[in-house]
Amino acid sequence: MALLEVNNLDVRFAMRGGEVRALRDVSFTLERGERLGIVGESGAGKSVAAFTILNLIAKPGYIAGGEIKFDGEVLNTLKPKAMQSIRGNRISMIFQDPMMTLNPVLTIGEQMIECLKAHRRISRKDARAIALHKLNQVFIPSPEKRLDQYPHELSGGMRQRIIIAIALLLDPDIIVADEPTTALDVTIQAEIMELLLLLCEKHNVGLILITHDLGVVSQVTQRTLVMYAGRVIEQGPTREIINDAQHPYTQGLINALPQMATPGSRLNQIRGSMPTLTKIPAGCAFNPRCDFAANICLEKVPAFAHSGNCKVACHMVDAMVAGERWTPIITDANGNGATPTDNHRTEVNT
Amino acid sequence: MSQSNTQSSNAPVTPKTSSIVVPGRWQRFRESYLVYSFKRDWMAQACLLVFIAMVLGAFLAPWIAPADPYDLASIDIMNSELPPAWMAGGDPAFLLGTDAQGRDLLSTILYGTRVSLLIGFGAVILQALLGVTFGLLAGYLGGRIDAFLMRMADIQLSFSTLMVAIVVGAIIKATFGGAAFSDYALILLILIIGLAEWPQYARTVRASVLAEKNKEYVDAARVMGFRSRRIMFRHILPNTLSPIFVISTVQIANAIISEAALSFLGLGMPETQPSLGSLIKSGFDYLQSGSWWITLIPGGVLIVLVLVINLLGDWLRDVMNPRLYKG
Repeated sequence: MALLEVNNLDVRFAMRGGEVRALRDVSFTLERGERLGIVGESGAGKSVAAFTILNLIAKPGYIAGGEIKFDGEVLNTLKPKAMQSIRGNRISMIFQDPMMTLNPVLTIGEQMIECLKAHRRISRKDARAIALHKLNQVFIPSPEKRLDQYPHELSGGMRQRIIIAIALLLDPDIIVADEPTTALDVTIQAEIMELLLLLCEKHNVGLILITHDLGVVSQVTQRTLVMYAGRVIEQGPTREIINDAQHPYTQGLINALPQMATPGSRLNQIRGSMPTLTKIPAGCAFNPRCDFAANICLEKVPAFAHSGNCKVACHMVDAMVAGERWTPIITDANGNGATPTDNHRTEVNT
Repeated sequence: MSQSNTQSSNAPVTPKTSSIVVPGRWQRFRESYLVYSFKRDWMAQACLLVFIAMVLGAFLAPWIAPADPYDLASIDIMNSELPPAWMAGGDPAFLLGTDAQGRDLLSTILYGTRVSLLIGFGAVILQALLGVTFGLLAGYLGGRIDAFLMRMADIQLSFSTLMVAIVVGAIIKATFGGAAFSDYALILLILIIGLAEWPQYARTVRASVLAEKNKEYVDAARVMGFRSRRIMFRHILPNTLSPIFVISTVQIANAIISEAALSFLGLGMPETQPSLGSLIKSGFDYLQSGSWWITLIPGGVLIVLVLVINLLGDWLRDVMNPRLYKG
């Protein structure tokens, strides 16, 4: 049995103008030590999915259906107290902006020790030793000194390392990372992702990585989930999704990477923008932007179809498979795949 | 601890070696922006100096005052209404003159300032305890609790402090008699002013909590599995301390004025344990007959006390301005 199992999750927000469905029928699993990427545009429901796993959906939002099973327990029916003992302890989370995630008025050490003491019966001294050990693991220079510093005395990259150290503090089974590198500059991004990957592999920690950076997903994760307008539209092994995307939306995302454009010409893009959750078109939510849309796409929500190791929710998969195929464009974690430099595509799909 | 949130980034730039000694709390305080700005503001320095002098004078009154105004045996009615020592007819034994009962005015002012300060600080501590707790609960929990507490605050604010004092004072006097009221006047005044003014704190704290609770560090704290109470008091409260400090100074000044007003109306401290307000009142009847010092000197002391507290509060507000605060 998988460590984390999300079945048919349905999350809604009760707003003044009526209900908004933020997640529809979202299902996925995560094995122990597995790394899963969730990608999609802003507003696709990625972060809502992350918060729902920790049962932290804020008030107008609620779980309308489905279940989240973690290690045999159904999290969404758990009592608040029992949930608290799982949060931070067995599932922890890393947020987007390291400037905002640490409490500005407490020292790093106080925040780490407090977190340990909230979940374990432990003396201050032992807690400090563990905190120091974790800071060493994330390669912070002079960790002893950092414990007594306030967040504003540290750089962004250093803060994110500390947040990773806090996430690892109680040796969790799963880390949910919600765009952990978006707020950092590019060189630091690479360092932080490498560190996260290293630590997850070393400690056999499961990782749910939420991002819109396909490059990061291809380097770090083993499986990928593509979301659009609150639904999962494609999922499967990362390598296959990156190299051989089935869904027109995923293809569009990959095609929109700067490497994919002919040098000197405009970048490729998916026309239009994601519908707001209150105005999701009938049928396949992607149909107004899709080049392959047929009549059936306007009427019926596509069900998942298996295509190799992937699952794709698109009516037109078979038709597309018969037609044009994509060539591998991005190197994966093992360095397989062609380099994108000499890949000249005619702009058929954009 | 109170200074920790004003630590600015002017901490020393340290080279990246592991042998660096972490600056201690005292050193951090000395290098903080608070101290930096204090050293450059002569107004703040002067105010603090005057304030400290008044506080010391008030609390050391039993040792430095020339006479004990509570000791009825030492008072001679023949000495009543003596003018200050530098005026014609003044007695050098009574530097600031005497009041209508023959008490040395300087000693009475020292003791009276002590009473005023005790009531001011006591009432503000009570206000802060109630207001901060209710403000935190209302802001963090929201919904019905918020609505209930804030309506309570509105109702409380619609009663003026004076009215609460009159009603409570009347009830106590009627039930326990005037003597009991005199014995517990100090505590009663702290309770009355404290209870009447808590909504000021509750509103300020609630507003800051509403701003703070949407910040990511609160989400992060929830993700770490902390209980609501811990998040409220340990994580959000320290982040709302700046406005609390600033309104505290204003509230102390207000409480001292409220007490003076109540005492002036005869609802406050009895004449036997005079505060600044009851001193002003006791001299008021003699103002027309030329004994201006009994009223005006304590009045001047009251004005200076409130002024320096307010000026210190203004300075503190500028220093702790959240828009300038780097965090």
